[in-house]
Amino acid sequence: MLKTKILYVDDEPINLMLMQANLEKKYNVLTADNGFSGLDILSNDNDIKVVISDMKMPNINGIEFINKAKKISPKAVYYVLSGFEITDEIQDAIDNSLIRKYLQKPFNMNEIAAEIETALSEK
Amino acid sequence: MLKLKFEYKITLAYLILGIFWIISSDRLLGFLIDDTDVLTRIQTFKGWFYVFVTALLFFLFLKRHLNKLRETENEVERHKDNLEQLVIEKTRSLDEAINELSLKNKQMADKNEIINSKNVELKGTLQDLKSMQDQLLQVEKMASIGVLTSGVAHEINNPLNYILGGLTGLEQYFEENNNKDEKIDLYLSSIKTGIERVNLIVSGLNQLSKSKDSSQKENDITSIIENCLTIINSQITDRISIKKDYPAQGLIVYGNAGDLQQIFLNILLNAVQAIDDKGTITVSAHSEDNNVSIQIADTGCGIGRENISRITDPFFTTKDPGKGTGLGLSIAYSLIIAHNGNLRFKSEPNKGTTVKITLPNKKTKDA
Repeated sequence: MLKTKILYVDDEPINLMLMQANLEKKYNVLTADNGFSGLDILSNDNDIKVVISDMKMPNINGIEFINKAKKISPKAVYYVLSGFEITDEIQDAIDNSLIRKYLQKPFNMNEIAAEIETALSEK
Repeated sequence: MLKLKFEYKITLAYLILGIFWIISSDRLLGFLIDDTDVLTRIQTFKGWFYVFVTALLFFLFLKRHLNKLRETENEVERHKDNLEQLVIEKTRSLDEAINELSLKNKQMADKNEIINSKNVELKGTLQDLKSMQDQLLQVEKMASIGVLTSGVAHEINNPLNYILGGLTGLEQYFEENNNKDEKIDLYLSSIKTGIERVNLIVSGLNQLSKSKDSSQKENDITSIIENCLTIINSQITDRISIKKDYPAQGLIVYGNAGDLQQIFLNILLNAVQAIDDKGTITVSAHSEDNNVSIQIADTGCGIGRENISRITDPFFTTKDPGKGTGLGLSIAYSLIIAHNGNLRFKSEPNKGTTVKITLPNKKTKDA
């Protein structure tokens, strides 16, 4: 069976590397270090089931990226993963079902994997 | 000149006239009349003449004198009337003056009263202003701390994420390669404990910077307090008894349920930790104007006077290292401020601490 495709967008390369290293056994983790390349990846691959994005990134922030991404790939499950406390902007995104959940750094890989499993099983 | 009184004058005049008449009447008659017969006949009328003349004189004298007296009497009477009138007038104007004065007096007293009440009002306003200034300073302090801490928290969270990610990778690696070693376990668990502690501090800092949450609603404070008491139940055991003095429902506080729970949980945990051996925590709540006032009183170790102004400062703690970050009350305070509430302490070392929290029951304009 093919591994589920996940897209992770974060401007910090170490975060991308760690996510990939830790979850590569379960998932096929694609990464992008900014929102625009994230959108490129989504446009070229309609098989991505889960999108996780950092909030604070240069040029385009997490919510802006997800707003655009959802138009390309509306069926995927979206998450924001950030080191900040929840903001009004993120709360609105949850209320409007733009994102499924707000995940906070530092994150436990196993918890993220478990959350992804729950989300996919509900689909 | 000798001035004789009227009675003397008249008596004297009578005597002189009488004597003069007795001495000179015969000679006068002899001089006027030669006929002895006529003279004898006239002798009889001599006494009559005297009586008439003196009577006439008496009448004239008395009349003149009495007229004078009557005039004087009338004048006196007139004066008396005048005086009476004058007295009445003077009395009336005096009364008027007195009335005017008492009116003025009353007005002055009224003005005095107004001034006094204004004075009291001013004093109150001044006090309000002072306490508001204190609060503003605190709020400002918390706000700038919030900006700082949220930045610090974010910057720490990222590298913390690397460590946690690295640790997860290492754990997987050792598990996959069946590399079970006591020392490896010790190292890994040390890193984990360290991460957990840093994480606790950072998430505390993050809550400090959290000014308000968008999901605000009306909350029943009783159920929030009950929730908190259930959470701390395991720490209470048999040593602490909880006294409850609040209605079963109906005390409404406007705000974020999670934040409100955090406030009471932090304050209740402090109360529990303040009690060394056995003690009591009394939780009471009641409605107060547009607010709900909640008091949490413990019979614990209390707070020294020198510390009471610092207890809401971040990282201020008297607990042993690792036992408390010094953020709990700081977080509670900043959340209370974000809810437009108020936090007050009363404490006596070795007797206990009473914390009074006031929170608005309605949405306030900038909440």
